[in-house]
Amino acid sequence: MASTTLESGGSRRRKGTMYEMRRNVWAYAFIAPFFLLFAIFGLFPYLYAFYLSFVTWDGIGGPASQQWVGLENYQQLARDDVFRKSLYNSIWLFVVTSLNLVIALLLAFILNSGLVRFKEFYRAAFFAPIVASSVAIAIIFSTLFGERYGALNYVTGLVGIAPVDWLGSAAWIKPAIALVVIWRYFGWNTIIYLAGLQSINTDLYEAARVDGAGWRQIFFRITMPLMRPVITFTVILSIIGALQLFEEPLLLAGGTASTSPGGTDRAGLTVLVYMYSQAFQYLEFGYAAAMSVALFVIIVVFSFLYYRFLGQEEA
Amino acid sequence: MDDILIPNELSRRRFLKAGAAVGGLGLAACAGFSSEGESTTGGGAAGGAAGGSGTPIPGISNKDIEGKTNITVWFWDAGLKYAVTEFNKTNKKNINVKFVKLGFDDTHQKLLTSLAAGSGAPDVCALEIGLIGGFASKGGLADLKEAPYDGGEFEKDMVPYKWKHGSAQDGRLIAMPWDIGPAGLWYREDLLKKAGLPTDPDEVQKRIKTWEDWFQLGEDLKKKTPKTSLFADAFNDVYIPMVEQQGHGWFDGNKLQFEEKALKPLQRAVEVRKRKIDADIDWWGPEWNTALKKDVFAGMGIACWMQTGLTQSHPEHVGKWRVIKAPEGNYNWGGSFLSIPEQGKNKDAAWEFVKYVCCTKEGQNAIFKATGIFPAYKPAWEDPIYDQGVEFYGGQKTFRLWTEIAADIPGNAVHPSDRQANDILGNEVTKIEQQGKDPAKALKDAETEALKRIKNIES
Repeated sequence: MASTTLESGGSRRRKGTMYEMRRNVWAYAFIAPFFLLFAIFGLFPYLYAFYLSFVTWDGIGGPASQQWVGLENYQQLARDDVFRKSLYNSIWLFVVTSLNLVIALLLAFILNSGLVRFKEFYRAAFFAPIVASSVAIAIIFSTLFGERYGALNYVTGLVGIAPVDWLGSAAWIKPAIALVVIWRYFGWNTIIYLAGLQSINTDLYEAARVDGAGWRQIFFRITMPLMRPVITFTVILSIIGALQLFEEPLLLAGGTASTSPGGTDRAGLTVLVYMYSQAFQYLEFGYAAAMSVALFVIIVVFSFLYYRFLGQEEA
Repeated sequence: MDDILIPNELSRRRFLKAGAAVGGLGLAACAGFSSEGESTTGGGAAGGAAGGSGTPIPGISNKDIEGKTNITVWFWDAGLKYAVTEFNKTNKKNINVKFVKLGFDDTHQKLLTSLAAGSGAPDVCALEIGLIGGFASKGGLADLKEAPYDGGEFEKDMVPYKWKHGSAQDGRLIAMPWDIGPAGLWYREDLLKKAGLPTDPDEVQKRIKTWEDWFQLGEDLKKKTPKTSLFADAFNDVYIPMVEQQGHGWFDGNKLQFEEKALKPLQRAVEVRKRKIDADIDWWGPEWNTALKKDVFAGMGIACWMQTGLTQSHPEHVGKWRVIKAPEGNYNWGGSFLSIPEQGKNKDAAWEFVKYVCCTKEGQNAIFKATGIFPAYKPAWEDPIYDQGVEFYGGQKTFRLWTEIAADIPGNAVHPSDRQANDILGNEVTKIEQQGKDPAKALKDAETEALKRIKNIES
C-alpha cells in the first residue's frame, strides 16, 4: 500500500476517485465480504424495521398485506402505558445490574494485585456463566427461586427470614432477574477490566508506593483515571445490553408459553419481551418495529449522555 | 427464535418439554404408551430438509425422491412418523412426504415468518389450539372448505367443537382438525384410599355432581390427610376448566366475553384458595414437580395427553390415576390441526396427506396407538383399542371415557386476537392471585385494556 501511495503522488487529484478505486481493487475485494454481509444481515433489516414502523401488518398475508399508516404506530406508542411500564422495568434493571461493573472492577483489581493465587482458575470460573446456555440457567435459577422447595428460601429460612415468592410476586421478580443478570455478566466485565489493568505500567504503582501512597490512593488516583476508557467501554456496552434484556426476564417469567408475559402485574416485562409479544404473539409487526426504533433512540441518548458527561477525559 | 421456554403452561407439548428438562430425561419430545420409545439419537435420516434445522428422525427419510411428488410437513412431535411411513408406502398418487420435526415454538414461528416473507413455508404445517388464532387472518392458510379441497364433507365425522376451533370467524376452515384434548378430573387412587375415601371411578363420579362436591371432597381429604390437598392450583385446576366448559376463546364474533365467561370461574378459584382446598402451587414449574413427587396434591383438572407426559416424567405414577368427567360440563384442553399454506406448490399432494392423517381411521389410529395423540375423527374411535382398560389408569376404560367427553364439548371459532386477549386477562388474573384484587374489578380493567389495544372488537 505504501508504495502505491508514493507512486501515485501528485497525480492523484487529477485522476480522481474512480482511478484510485481501480488501483486498489484488490483491497476493496478483500474488505467486500464484510460489507456485503453487513448490508444483507445488518443494514437491510435495520432499514426494513424502520419502514415497518410506518405500516400495520400481521404478517399472515405476506408483504402485500402491509398498510401504510404514517405515524400512527408512534402515536399509539406514546399513549401505551404498558410500553412505559416495560421501559421503567428495563431502566430499573439497567441501574441495578450496573452493580456488576462495580463488582467486576473490584474483583479485577484484587486479581491483578498479586495477593491472589490460582488466578487462572478464578478467571475461568468467573467467565463460565457467560458460556452457559440461557435455558439451562433459567431452569436452574427457577428451581433455586422456588417459593417452597427452592434452595434460596431454604437458606434465608435458616436465619429466620420468611419465604419469598421470588418469581411470583410483583415486588421480587425484578430483583430476581437482576440477580441472574449480575451473576451472568460480572465475569465478562472482570476479564475486560483485568485486561485493562494489566496494560497499566507497573512503574506507576511502584513510583506511587515510593512516594508513600496507600492502596486506596493508588486505586483512586492511578488505577481509576487510567482505566477510564475501559470503563466507558463497559458502561456503554452495559447500557446497550441491559436495555435489551430479553432471555433472562422472558424465561424467569414463564417463557414464551406464559399467559401473563412479564409475570405478576407485568413487573418483569422488559421492552424486548414486550416487543417480542407484540411481533410474534400478537402479530403487530408494525407496532413492534416502532417500539424497536424508539428503543434504539433511547439507547443512543443514554449512551451519549454518559459519554458526554462522565466518560470523557477531563480536559 | 429458538425454543425458549420454561415449564409453565398448558399443553401436552409443553408439558413434555418441561418434564424432559426438569426430570433430566433428555429431549425426546415423544414417548407414548407403546413399547417403541423414542430416541432422537442415531438413525439413518439425513438432514438438509426445507427449513434446515429439523431434527432427523430415525427410520424416516426427509430427502427428495426423484420421480415422486415431494412435499414437506412440519410438526413438533416425532409421533407423526408412524403415519408418514405408512402413507409413503401406501399412497397411490406417487407422493413422498418429508417430515421435518421442529420445536413447538419453532413450528409456529417459522410458519409465521415464512408467511410474512411470502416464501419458505412447508406444504403442510401443524398448528396448536393455543396459537392457531394468530393464523386466522386471510391470505396465509388455504380455506380447506373451498375447491380443490372441499373438506366440508368431513364435518360430520369430526368432533363438532374441534371443527369450530379450526374455523375462522368468517367460516373459513383454516386447518383440518387432527387431535383433541378431552379433559376431566383426575385423582390419585392410592391417596384417596389412604384417606379412607371412595376410589372407584363410578362411585366417585356419582358423588361429584357439582363443583362444590369436588371442593368438599377436597376438604374431606385434607381433614384425613392434612399434608395432601386435592389439587395444586385453583387457578389451573378450577378456573381454566370452568372457563373451558363454556368453549375455548374469548370472542363470540367480535364480541369480547371476559366477564360473561370468566367472572364465576375466577370467583370460585378465589373462594377455593381462601378455603385452603388447593395447595397453592403454580402448575408446570419445578415446584409443581416436587409437589407431585411428595404427594402434596391428589388430583388435577387436565386433559388426556397428560397420560403421555406423566408416563414419561413420572413412570412410578403408572396405575395410580383415575379419571371422572368434570361436573357441570365437559371441556377440552389442547389439541392440534394440519394446515396447508397458500404458498405451497403441491397442494393436491398436501391435501392427500392431510386427509390421510386427519380423516382416515388408519392414519389417525397409527399415531394414536403409538403416542396417545387423541383423534378428533370420530370413526377412528370404532377401533377395539378404545374399549380396552388402560394400565396407566389401573385398568379403567378411559379411552372410551375420553370419546364420551369429546362428543359433548361446546366450541367457538378462533379469533386473530385470542392470544393477546388471553394475555391481557392473564395479567389481571396474576393480580387477583397475587395481590387479592377483586375479580369483578379485574375483569372490568381487562376489558377496558383489551378494547383500547385490540382493533375492531366490541364489549
